[in-house]
Amino acid sequence: MITLYVGSTTGYSGKSLVSMGLGHKFKQDGLKVGFFKPMGILPIKIDDTLTDKDAWFIYRLFDLKDPLADICPVVVTQEFIYKGYLKEVKGLLGRIVKSYQRLSEDKDILVAGGSGSIYTGSVLGIPGYKVIQRLNAKVIIVVKYEGEYIVDYILQAKKDLKDKFLGAILNKVTHEYRHGVDEYIVPFLKRKGVDILGILPHDSILGSITVEELSDILGGKVLCCHDKLDNLVEHFLIGAMQVDRAIEYFRKTRKNAVIVGGDRADIQLSAIESGTKCLVLTGDLYPSEIIISRAEQKDIPILVVRDDTYMVAKKVQRLSVRLRLRDKAKVTHGIEQVIKNVNFPVLYEKLGIKIR
Amino acid sequence: MQKNFFNPQSIAVIGASRTPGKVGYDILKNILQYGYQGAVYPINPEAPEILGVKAYLSILDIPGEVGLAVVVVPPPKVGEVISQCGAKKIDSAIIITAGFGESGSEGTKLEDDLVRRAKESGMRFIGPNCLGVIDTHSRVNASFAAGMPATGSIGFFSQSGALCVAVLDRALAEDIGFSKFISMGNKADISDTDIMLALAEDDNTKVILGYIEGVKDGKQFMEVASQVSKKKPLIILKSGITSSGARAASSHTGALSGREASFDAAFKQSGVTRAHSFADLFNYALAFADQPLPQGPNIVIITNSGGPGILAADASDRSGLQLISLRKEIVDKLRTFLPSFASFYNPVDILGDASAERYEKALTTVLEDDKVNGVIVLLTPTAIVDVEATAKAVASIANSTDKPILTSFMGKKRVEPGAKILMKSHVPNYSYPEEAVSSLNAMYHYQLWINRPDKTYARVDDLKEKVSYIFEKVKGENRERLSESEVYEVLKTYGFSQPKSLFARTSEEAVAAAKGIGYPIAMKIISPQIIHKSDAGGIRLNLNSKKEVADAFFDITTRVKDIMPAATIYGVMIQEMVLGGKEVIIGITKDAQFGHTIMFGLGGIYVEVLKDISFRIAPLSHEDAIEMIKEIKTFPLLRGVRGEVGADIGAIKKSLLSFSQMTLDFPQIIEADINPLLVRKRGEGVIAVDARFTVGGE
Repeated sequence: MITLYVGSTTGYSGKSLVSMGLGHKFKQDGLKVGFFKPMGILPIKIDDTLTDKDAWFIYRLFDLKDPLADICPVVVTQEFIYKGYLKEVKGLLGRIVKSYQRLSEDKDILVAGGSGSIYTGSVLGIPGYKVIQRLNAKVIIVVKYEGEYIVDYILQAKKDLKDKFLGAILNKVTHEYRHGVDEYIVPFLKRKGVDILGILPHDSILGSITVEELSDILGGKVLCCHDKLDNLVEHFLIGAMQVDRAIEYFRKTRKNAVIVGGDRADIQLSAIESGTKCLVLTGDLYPSEIIISRAEQKDIPILVVRDDTYMVAKKVQRLSVRLRLRDKAKVTHGIEQVIKNVNFPVLYEKLGIKIR
Repeated sequence: MQKNFFNPQSIAVIGASRTPGKVGYDILKNILQYGYQGAVYPINPEAPEILGVKAYLSILDIPGEVGLAVVVVPPPKVGEVISQCGAKKIDSAIIITAGFGESGSEGTKLEDDLVRRAKESGMRFIGPNCLGVIDTHSRVNASFAAGMPATGSIGFFSQSGALCVAVLDRALAEDIGFSKFISMGNKADISDTDIMLALAEDDNTKVILGYIEGVKDGKQFMEVASQVSKKKPLIILKSGITSSGARAASSHTGALSGREASFDAAFKQSGVTRAHSFADLFNYALAFADQPLPQGPNIVIITNSGGPGILAADASDRSGLQLISLRKEIVDKLRTFLPSFASFYNPVDILGDASAERYEKALTTVLEDDKVNGVIVLLTPTAIVDVEATAKAVASIANSTDKPILTSFMGKKRVEPGAKILMKSHVPNYSYPEEAVSSLNAMYHYQLWINRPDKTYARVDDLKEKVSYIFEKVKGENRERLSESEVYEVLKTYGFSQPKSLFARTSEEAVAAAKGIGYPIAMKIISPQIIHKSDAGGIRLNLNSKKEVADAFFDITTRVKDIMPAATIYGVMIQEMVLGGKEVIIGITKDAQFGHTIMFGLGGIYVEVLKDISFRIAPLSHEDAIEMIKEIKTFPLLRGVRGEVGADIGAIKKSLLSFSQMTLDFPQIIEADINPLLVRKRGEGVIAVDARFTVGGE
């Protein structure tokens, strides 16, 4: 049985996406695949069993039959953190190992998903790198590519993980960065003994968010088109200009949501007419009935939020770094991206897997 | 304000011109042609005489004293002219010249210079950038307006010169008398309040009419307006109340337009009769100028046709007026001379074939009912009706009663001669019945205002000292918001009951707290980053068991962390679930012009969707507080409907007054609200369930 730990140097780098993609491919290739999340930071209760949201999602995606409680043995809730700060919490590593043993019984490969970075969990005595050593797992580091500085992090991770380190996957590499990555970064890392096992290009679908998620995050009230909350939004536009300029700007940008003051009926109408995916009305100002009925005709959900336009813009800017993969269309697309862009022959070779 | 603005012994026109069509020419001509009796001195360095009057090189060359200077020289020269006027000991000037604050930064510099020079020489001025001043009694027309209105008792001031021209034109066409016309321009020195005070003192002015786009000092405006409106009706049209209007107004004269709600509150609190349109302004002016105030809300409508009577009745219903039922004797008397199929009840329909005599008898008869406070006479020009005779009959009765009579002779061509007779006899006539109703309603409300006792303010023990340490701490820590416990302390000190609350950091603590308080309980997230707890999913209500509390703790903390990963969660507040009562909201905001404003509304959906809220400028008097509670549309829900016991309105009033007191004690509060404030049955008080305080500035 092989344990492949998907870790990272930072949170929100794309570990879950990579775990799903790898697991899917392993299954396609006839392997018995399991999933394990040693420590979860997104608590959820499923029939009174405490688990992690990402773990629960992948559990269903992989159609696993293991006891749910073992999938994520340590879930960090608010109270858990609080207790962890006040006094030493003991025995967590042991708990992780026991679940791990039960899960690994009938599998060929167990994909273990990290939380945050490989250092996350130190407060509770279970940082990722320690868990990795204990489970004797092989590690892939997923790195969100934000510039050359990430190279240092990768090298540090390699040093800390020693022989467990297999290589890295670069994620969200934009078109602008791609040339430099191919030209300098990959050859340099190769020279330093780091294999780049895949390069996932930046993808606007994966960077999108459903209107429903948006509403949750902004604390919005949905005024219409409740059946269109699965609309995917890729870009955010601020409606604070003159109307004639606005229409042009709205049309140029695909799958946009327009953030605009609730009293700017002119901008709201131009956004609706130019086919926005969602109207976010700020300042707790409700639009007139005409706007709502027009939006209903065009199937455009309207959210009313309390924050002003600036605050909402600030929040959505932070959004892009913490998107979660939940939407089915996005997941399917994401898995395809992983399968297409990860070098599986090299990975299999490093893992010592031979596909019949 | 200087008498010389309106009744000067002599006038100098600085920048007088020989060229017809130039402002300097038109002004001089206006001064000369409408019978002004004092000396007139044109100042023009090049002309020996203009319009037959000897001209002077400079103001300093004039031999005698000068009362009023009218300045029309180009902008860069105005400053120098003002200094010369100072040297000549002139105390009043009207600066017509444009190109100052309204035209950019250069102009603003020039305007500042003007103000400085005028201060130095102790003179006051109207303008710059104005049309001028007209006084029909002293026959001064120091303006470049086309014409001179009839002598009358309406005093009009306006921030917009163009509106002055429009008013004047209509006044000329309809022969409406004015006492004074003042175009205010940029109001660099003489302000709205100066003019309001001057008009209040003016014996020739009975009604003050104003058009304003913004005010500079809201509090001062309210003080002066209250003082003036107790003496004379003060009718103001305030523009720039919508956001588009505000944009236009701000760019028009560079004055901040101000929030509609604040102006509305300020007008109500200072007895200003608010005109909502240009038509209102005129309509109200006519009614106030020519008719006595109604002593109560009871009116009768006399009409010669059904439709207009119904329209007037509808309009009355929407206003504060009431169509009263006439006394039986009066109805019986009407029966003696009206056709049997006339309507003897209010509206009294005297039918399409009504003659002047029938109008006369009907009007005389209804006026005999001592409950009647005013009458509106409607007429549609049927083939039979004698418009002129009816107008004469109505006018003659109107002039011999102490109750207001307003008319609406509907139509145009056929009623025109009648309308003229009415206007000449000082009986306001309106094109539409609704206008007559709305004018009478304005008069009724003004009557309430002047007869209402002086405002009384609550005496509050010195609570300030007890909590000022909290506000100092917040300031010291450079925070904008008061923490949960600080809010609790402040509210407690100002006499607000609050639900029993205990703080819990873990689910075990939450369960213990719930047990201590007693089920059911409410749970709220406590985090400095979360202001609106419900938006973030941070509130649970009606938790009834250990399990529900533990689950809720998990849900709330997880959900908040999910939505705002960076938020610090201190824990949750376990609160007694306050059952029953009605949710209201009270709040404080700070307005740029009027300072602190107190808000009140019914809570929940009423405030958010229906925006059913009322405002008053702080500090609130007892009367203000009661009025703002009664003003919301949903007030009947508080008063109690269908036999239900009403809510504790006294306690709401006390809460509003406490908020008002807080704004005096802590001017640094820029925003606060209690939402919801739960109001229990009469006598049972209120409970502040959730509240927020934001401080800043000063």
